[in-house]
Amino acid sequence: MPLFAIGLSHRTAPVDLRERVDFSRLGAGDALDAAVARGIATETVVLSTCNRAEIYAVAGPEGPDAVGRFFAEYHDVPLAELADHLYVRRGAEVARHLFRVAAGLDSLVVGEPQILGQVKAAYGVASDRGHTGAIINRLFHSAFGAGKRVRRETGLSEGAVSVSYAATALARKIFGDLAELNVVVVGAGDMAKLTAVHLQAQGVRQLTIASRTLTTAQRLAAELSGRAVAWTELGDGLRGADIVITATGASTPVLTRAGVQDVMRTRPPRPLFIIDIAVPRDVEAAAGDLEQVFLYNIDDLQGIVRDNLARRSGELERAEAIVDEEVDRFDRWMHSREAIPTLIALRDRFERIRQAEIARLESKLAGLPPEARDRVDEITRLMVEKLLLAPTEGLKAVRDANTIGTYAEVLNELFRLETGESSGEGTRPRRITPLRRG
Amino acid sequence: MHLIPLLLYGSATAAYLAHFARGGVATGRLATGVLGAAILSHTFLIGMQTFEAGHAPLVGTTAAVSAFVWLLGLSYLAIELTTDERALGPFVCALLAALYVIPATDPSVNLRPAVLQSPLFTIHVLAMLCAYASFALACVVGVTYVLLFNEIKAKHLGYFYARLPSLQVLDGINGRVVTIGWAFLTLGIVVGGIWATDVRGYPDPRIAEMSILDPKILVALLSWGVYSFALVARRAIGWTGRRAAWLSALAFVIVMLNFVPVGYFLTKSHNF
Repeated sequence: MPLFAIGLSHRTAPVDLRERVDFSRLGAGDALDAAVARGIATETVVLSTCNRAEIYAVAGPEGPDAVGRFFAEYHDVPLAELADHLYVRRGAEVARHLFRVAAGLDSLVVGEPQILGQVKAAYGVASDRGHTGAIINRLFHSAFGAGKRVRRETGLSEGAVSVSYAATALARKIFGDLAELNVVVVGAGDMAKLTAVHLQAQGVRQLTIASRTLTTAQRLAAELSGRAVAWTELGDGLRGADIVITATGASTPVLTRAGVQDVMRTRPPRPLFIIDIAVPRDVEAAAGDLEQVFLYNIDDLQGIVRDNLARRSGELERAEAIVDEEVDRFDRWMHSREAIPTLIALRDRFERIRQAEIARLESKLAGLPPEARDRVDEITRLMVEKLLLAPTEGLKAVRDANTIGTYAEVLNELFRLETGESSGEGTRPRRITPLRRG
Repeated sequence: MHLIPLLLYGSATAAYLAHFARGGVATGRLATGVLGAAILSHTFLIGMQTFEAGHAPLVGTTAAVSAFVWLLGLSYLAIELTTDERALGPFVCALLAALYVIPATDPSVNLRPAVLQSPLFTIHVLAMLCAYASFALACVVGVTYVLLFNEIKAKHLGYFYARLPSLQVLDGINGRVVTIGWAFLTLGIVVGGIWATDVRGYPDPRIAEMSILDPKILVALLSWGVYSFALVARRAIGWTGRRAAWLSALAFVIVMLNFVPVGYFLTKSHNF
């Protein structure tokens, strides 16, 4: 049965439409069950992220249309509205699409690493519910391999591509483990909050918020499970800090070089990482000259992001080459499957001949001891195996469907590969034909 | 035969550099494998020399350099295999290859004179070599710390930023290996002093030169002083990070000066 994928993504559909066909909104597992309940396909995986909604399936020729209708009906969106945004991939193109998705090549932020985990999770849901089979299993495991190879062998996923991630990555490079760190947030704006949330997600020990208005600090502290301090206690807070995020709306620097120097003198000798994301800046640039003080402002962080994005785009060619290799490997496997019915029939035919010959010689073999009879059985079996080894490998290696078909016809003719031939049940012989790609 | 380890140490340096520059699991494993082969061939060579001389080849500066290279290679390999961190590989291997040029060009084995047959002498030499190996690692870690520190400070995140562990991790390793090296150095100096007292009066001009004024002993005491200061400064006045890194690099330069030029050309007491 043919393999296909149907879906929409940030490349083909606007965000409002993507929101309306978000399978994860109602639970990807439920959507999967609903799709399977329709009996559309024999193998199905639903992949749903904020940027894409896709169904990978193995089904008959009517499968893509049926899945398209399922998309519309499940989300209660007119098919006509969806049709222009849906894409369909078939055969090897499904593999290329999924491998690119898993490698982060099809992501909004190219190279973002979360997508591989999301693909694994989608496959896990389908696998746990028994909705996967040989083709989907192979497809997704190959996709995991392709994603890992791209990440390992290229720099596509290296470097932070957002200001918050850049700040967190820098903190990791300075301190290593963030679990024992104290973070002080000066100001209570959105940017300060966003960066603080990122650092908090890394498991920092304590988050302290200082704002000119204590109630504002207390509000943010409550939201982030941190601790609020009065503006007058900022100095004490800085003495215990490892990371300081400044994001006030002040028109003059809140932290001067002299002020930071005073703080550094009165604290144990360890690095202080200051992230100044305020415009105009909250921290005097000269403070960054102090030993053990690492000062980064918003322009510095945005510069890092720009460099990383440029570096990632330079890795695209290598990543695409890896995807090509993996698609080629998957495609070869798919083609080798087309020869399977012929190979099974060929092996059955040889085995039946072997069994028949042993049965015919039964009277002559009867006088032999059991060990010798076993030996005869083993020798004949090995002969058959060896005779079939070269044709099996040769047939599996053929990539062209027409050639496989020709070989199957020839083998049918030469070896009379027909089921029921010697069964003696009077059934009409059935010719073996290879599986065809959809 | 004695050139094989040199070739392999050189190849390991090239492989580690390739891994440092381009990454790749296979290149990393290749580098580790080549270094392993270098150490193995070096071990075989030391074994042959032991068999030839009837004792461990620890007599003379050349033998000591060879043993030092072997010990440092082995220590680094142990660290790499337990941490799976190869970032220090190019630096360590470059040092190994450069130093191994000395024993590679002079493969002769010095026989041990009677005065050196005391177990105290063996303990002294082994302790000093372990100290030097630790200090070499501290120096390499210190240099990489400074390289990374400068990149982060200058906001030009590039080569070292992408490849080295965090500053805190490097500083922690630096502190630990300096402490271990200092303990070995102290042991080596104390045992060496006891041995020198034991053999005083032995009819050998080199024994007569065993005094604090001999350049080898004087510089060894100077390096002990510098490393003692590094340890005290780290704990008492907060000389961690870049200062500690520079100090360990500077102190290792003193150690190397004592090990090679002083050992070959200036000492009158340690030229066995």
